[in-house]
Amino acid sequence: MKTWLKNDAFRFLFLSILIALCVYALNPGKGTIVTRTVYSTFFDVLDIIIAVSIFIGLFQVWVKPATIVKWLGKGSGLKGFILVCTFPILMGGSLFTVFPLLKTLREKGARQGAIASFITAWGGKAPLLPLETKFLGWPFALLRLSLVVLFAFIMGFLMDWVCEKSAGANVNKG
Amino acid sequence: MRAGQIYLIIAFGLLVFSYFKEKQRTKEAIRVTFKIFYTVMPVLILVFVLMGLIQAYVSRETIAAILGKQTGVMGILYAEMIGSIALFLPPAVFPFGGYLHDNGAAYGPIAGFVFTAILIGVTTLPLEFKLLGKRFTIARNIFTFVIAFFLALFMEGILS
Repeated sequence: MKTWLKNDAFRFLFLSILIALCVYALNPGKGTIVTRTVYSTFFDVLDIIIAVSIFIGLFQVWVKPATIVKWLGKGSGLKGFILVCTFPILMGGSLFTVFPLLKTLREKGARQGAIASFITAWGGKAPLLPLETKFLGWPFALLRLSLVVLFAFIMGFLMDWVCEKSAGANVNKG
Repeated sequence: MRAGQIYLIIAFGLLVFSYFKEKQRTKEAIRVTFKIFYTVMPVLILVFVLMGLIQAYVSRETIAAILGKQTGVMGILYAEMIGSIALFLPPAVFPFGGYLHDNGAAYGPIAGFVFTAILIGVTTLPLEFKLLGKRFTIARNIFTFVIAFFLALFMEGILS
């Protein structure tokens, strides 16, 4: 039981059922609306979620995070900068998985701007494109994806500017 | 044919191709696939329950009044704040965004929500502090919020 409680999947399911039951207890009519929404959305996205999981699984074994870091190098120079603003769009994962990766990138000497660009481009989330197009349509998804590249570029410049300023301040202090 | 079925066929095709190239790696990929599915699905179900709650208790008019077209700049700012605070796994962001859109939210606020929900996380702040530094974290999150606002405004202009 204890290990069950520590399990995130179980917690989320438990919480879901608990909320649904509470709504039923308060108002059966509203409870039906909740369960009907859950049921129809679940079967609506099941095949897409399975497909997306397979895409991410394949991507993770064929393009290992360590390989990406090696490949991107310091993210310096025009070519490195362009790579850092575009390539992470293809990656999966959540912020929890991407921060440790970026720490490695920084230890290899990547600039602050390159790291910020990486995070922003990672937010493009191309592996989730099937989900995004299903729920928000192709125009939204494609426009957002192209703006993510612009977003990553701007972030890179801004973060480099802010961090260069701070480096200057440190020199003055010293 | 449903779009989802086409994606499934492509995914399984790639899986078979990968299997012929390298068995061991493909087994690992399948393991990762199960892990991702197992992590994501319970969160998605919770989000579906949340969608059901909104369906049951919040009227279309209320959503439109907060995130609709006529709310303009404020709608985008509200949506960005929701996105920054909400504990959303990226795969849950799009169903929820699409759901809000179907219920009267405009594209601009949805875009603001999607950007911040993926890129800003109150829950991930401590980890970002620890791994990437305070100054970096604060600057990155503020810039992300501000630029996301302008991009969302732009998307609103183009899509509607």
